[in-house]
Amino acid sequence: MSLTGYKRSDGRWGFRNHVLILPLHQILSAAARDIEEQSNGAVAVSHDWSQMVEKDHERLIHSLAGNATNPNLYATILLRLGTPIEDEVITRAKSYGKTKLVEISLSDFKSLDKLTQAGVTEANKLLTEANNEQRVAAPFSAIVLGLECGGSDAYSGITANPALGVASDKLVAQGATSILGETMEILGAEHLLAKRAITKEVGQQIIDVVARYEASINYEGIDIRGAQPSRGNIEGGLSTLEEKSLGAAKKAGNAQFTGVLEYAIAPTKAGLYFMDTPGHDIEQLTGFGAAGVNITVFTTGRGTPTGSAVMPTIKVATNTEMATAIPDIIDLNSGTIADGTQTLEENGEEIYNLILDVANGQLTKAELGGHHEFNLSRLYGSSDKLISYARSIHRT
Amino acid sequence: MRKVLVLNPTDNIAICLADMDAGTVIDQDNLKLTITQKIPRGHKVASKAVKKGEGIIKYGERMGHATKDISVGEHVHTHNVLGDRLSTEVSQ
Repeated sequence: MSLTGYKRSDGRWGFRNHVLILPLHQILSAAARDIEEQSNGAVAVSHDWSQMVEKDHERLIHSLAGNATNPNLYATILLRLGTPIEDEVITRAKSYGKTKLVEISLSDFKSLDKLTQAGVTEANKLLTEANNEQRVAAPFSAIVLGLECGGSDAYSGITANPALGVASDKLVAQGATSILGETMEILGAEHLLAKRAITKEVGQQIIDVVARYEASINYEGIDIRGAQPSRGNIEGGLSTLEEKSLGAAKKAGNAQFTGVLEYAIAPTKAGLYFMDTPGHDIEQLTGFGAAGVNITVFTTGRGTPTGSAVMPTIKVATNTEMATAIPDIIDLNSGTIADGTQTLEENGEEIYNLILDVANGQLTKAELGGHHEFNLSRLYGSSDKLISYARSIHRT
Repeated sequence: MRKVLVLNPTDNIAICLADMDAGTVIDQDNLKLTITQKIPRGHKVASKAVKKGEGIIKYGERMGHATKDISVGEHVHTHNVLGDRLSTEVSQ
């Protein structure tokens, strides 16, 4: 199957050609949504950030700048107040990619209504320009795939996750990039992933990010049993965090790990990566969007509608019962593997083909449903002190 | 049609592919056992006896340990299993 996309002037590829409305302060979130609604097809996100930063300063700048320049975007309209930290986001965004950036500042309009009107006019102008762009033949290296799971059940690790692994392996072998996230959800399986690292150093990095996470939990004295596995996971049949992790890691197939990425940071070459992200689905998607992921596959056992404004998000069901119950959310069913009507390889091939179809423009259920979830990830320990603490207590 | 799924020959659990009633007999793939209690679809049944403190093995990997002796055919879940990490030995 051939692949087509939008070739960006910075060398990256997009599979969508959106105009994004990105508010840089929470008070502009409603205006962003209004512009989306009144324009001819812009997409908006909203969040609750009030420009306060502490130890997560870099994390927030990366997240906003990265999403503003995701390769699926033709342009981004940044709604701002006129503060220095917004300048920091915009400067960083310009260093990430050549996505067209347009700033609309409340300090110029003094009124949210006038700012919204200006936003709609600007969005429609950019949308007209975007519609003149043509898809062209793209190489497989254009694909930056995000691997995600949410609402896992006991079928996740035997149906949808390993089937997605088949598709990911095939794409990586063809020169694509694939990123596994959710540090909490490889805890207990990190030794297996580390064995597949391209170098000893990369293997150690995988062990280290999990140790850092585990240490942060112990350090805070939190008992996460109430949250991981979640109540839904437990009802679905998962008994321990390690069990969930062993199944979650199967999304990354059997390919070698090329590297480990910090949250929201883009990979520099093709291959399979692990990104240190929270287990929270939407925070993870925000990190993927910032890292330049241009298509995501999201496996789910319980059924979750989560989508993204910047990345098409394909929902794969782990069991037939759920896939049949909520067809408006699910794009593809891997429950057939447990039903015995399809092999893992056959279903993996179906996921692979759907990834290409969606890359070529087919809309996902999350896109049709207008899901533009977006969460900034905060207060996640990442200091060097924590790493040495982690190393001092980590059991090997 | 299989009633349970064995993921790895070294596992001491199997996955139930349908809701199971007590007394259901499994006889497939060299595995013979009788389900001893109601087990929901997607949940685990002990395919081998596991002593308290021994590992629960799934995908050929350790996913936690038994908090009490588990006999063949029993439901294996949070009432008799605890993860090895980020868990404390308080039975729920």
